[in-house]
Amino acid sequence: MSIMRRIFRWLDVRIGAGEIIEKELTGYLLPPNINIWYSMGSILLFLFALQVVTGMLLLVYYVPDADKAFTSVTAIMNRVPFGWLIRLCHVIGSNMMVLILFFHMLSVLFMGSYKKPRELNWLSGFILFLLVMSLTLTGYLLPWSQLSFWATTVTTNSVGVIPFVGQYLVEFLRGGVLVGPPTLGRFFALHVAVLPAAVALMVGVHLFLLKRVGISAPPFGCAETKNTWQGESYRYEAHPGGIPFFPDYLLQDLTSIAVCMACFFALLFFDPSIFFPKDAFIPADQFRTPEHIKPEWYFLANYQTLKLFPSEIIGLAVQGVAILFLALLPFIDRGAERHPLKRPLFLLLSIGGIMVWIGLSIWGHYS
Amino acid sequence: MILSPGKRTLEKLILTCTFLFMTACPVVAADTAGNVCVQCHGTLPGRLGEPVAQWRGSIHAANGIFCNGCHGGDPNDSANAMSPARGFLGVPKENAIPAFCGRCHVGVLQSYQASAHATAQGKEKPHCVTCHSNHHVVKASLDLINEKSCGRCHSYDVARQIKEAMAGVETRIGMTEQRIATFKGKGTDTSRLEQRLFAGRNRFHSLAHVVDVNLITKNTAEINAELDAIDGALEDFSKLEGKKKIIGAAAIVIVLAAAALLAMYRRTYD
Repeated sequence: MSIMRRIFRWLDVRIGAGEIIEKELTGYLLPPNINIWYSMGSILLFLFALQVVTGMLLLVYYVPDADKAFTSVTAIMNRVPFGWLIRLCHVIGSNMMVLILFFHMLSVLFMGSYKKPRELNWLSGFILFLLVMSLTLTGYLLPWSQLSFWATTVTTNSVGVIPFVGQYLVEFLRGGVLVGPPTLGRFFALHVAVLPAAVALMVGVHLFLLKRVGISAPPFGCAETKNTWQGESYRYEAHPGGIPFFPDYLLQDLTSIAVCMACFFALLFFDPSIFFPKDAFIPADQFRTPEHIKPEWYFLANYQTLKLFPSEIIGLAVQGVAILFLALLPFIDRGAERHPLKRPLFLLLSIGGIMVWIGLSIWGHYS
Repeated sequence: MILSPGKRTLEKLILTCTFLFMTACPVVAADTAGNVCVQCHGTLPGRLGEPVAQWRGSIHAANGIFCNGCHGGDPNDSANAMSPARGFLGVPKENAIPAFCGRCHVGVLQSYQASAHATAQGKEKPHCVTCHSNHHVVKASLDLINEKSCGRCHSYDVARQIKEAMAGVETRIGMTEQRIATFKGKGTDTSRLEQRLFAGRNRFHSLAHVVDVNLITKNTAEINAELDAIDGALEDFSKLEGKKKIIGAAAIVIVLAAAALLAMYRRTYD
């Protein structure tokens, strides 16, 4: 008996490892018509793990002090062995995480997987989306560059237009009237402790819900595309005759992760400054406002929307309504049909929404 | 111009009132917020206001050097902004201008003092403002040496020779500056190279004030050697970038090969 088998046997007789593997891996059956879009969640888990590991390594040398933060990041990029690699992995990883998150949400939208009984799956995923956005926003300030400082000034200023409590919120976020050392302390604590813990918790909730409700079958390649659950009692959506998660779909997940990593390395080694404007390498100076401060690509549409309306409060309200609409979509769109081509209104609105988002982003970039 | 105590009090009153009016206005330029010199003089007509508009387009403004950087005084206190007790110097007399500017531009002052411009006989010696103007001081370049400007006082022949001797180094400094900016834009720590280039450029600019063709020719060789050393360091950065790209290409090939193998392996389970 090989050493591996002996270890497995040792574990099996104590904790029933064989039963767990049978139930959660080889016996965990997925829809036979499952497609590549279902591996987005696995890519996201991989990227989140990458962010945690690279973030921990950055913490070894990063100094969360307004006088030393920029110097410490410069040292990480130039003097710490492989520091440049770790930081670039963290930066590119965060951007890629947002991109894959968009793909994941769009696939869920188009395949109607958010519909009952998966309202909570969608809601927990949406909270994860907001948490990831908050992570990127708080992480932006930490290098304490001109870009960080002024982007945070503009972002926190926006909160100030909320009636009655706006100014209190701004001071609460900044830890003072202006962005300064207390803001860095707050954003650092949020970025490295509060938000990652919240993301980990919500990932746990999301996966728990996935396991309890079962994976939704894609509405493609089958005769019945309507939701059959009537809401009379709890039901686990099993897929008898489906493909096992291990090894079949795990191999698909690994293939997708490898392709994603190829794109990741292409950016990292061939265009490493793609996410760094010039002001990202100039230390923060509260007395010198840069000419053009633009947010990251995924906030460009929000940035342009704010500029479109004569009043900032209207711009914020419109975005708030759009976010609330998306968050509550499973409770608004209650139709049973899941195939996108059989939902013309949904198709029109979603493609229109995507086009508007892309258009606003391009406009924001060139404005 | 020396004002009588009465006129000075009146001037302070006008400036204070202007400041109070300005602070009540909602729109104040972000870069000059809190600087009472710019806030008050910026609204005044004629010769009292013109310097602010000229200064805004200057290299001093671009580098955050405000009025008090040269004229002294307290830019945070409107009532005492122009008080000699707060170090206010006012406008220097014509013959004091080189020393006035030379408080910061030390090397340039030394070169100027040894030059034919400073040792020229007669009352109207050319000084800093003659060529660079006073408030609209732009980034120094060889364009300042031109027939129109130099021809005001003497023939252009020697000035042309100086310009030609310096032209090569000027171009090289500009190119090296651009290369440094490119690497800086990628996150490379170029601060030491920037300091060396800054020192080299200062030395070069000081040299222009000597107005001695032979001395300039001799010194440009040394400045060129320093530029060679900076370019060598930049070349090392380029080589490192090349190595990273080779490693990156290998990493991409490895993960794509892994993806292909995994996809083929999965098919064996279909």
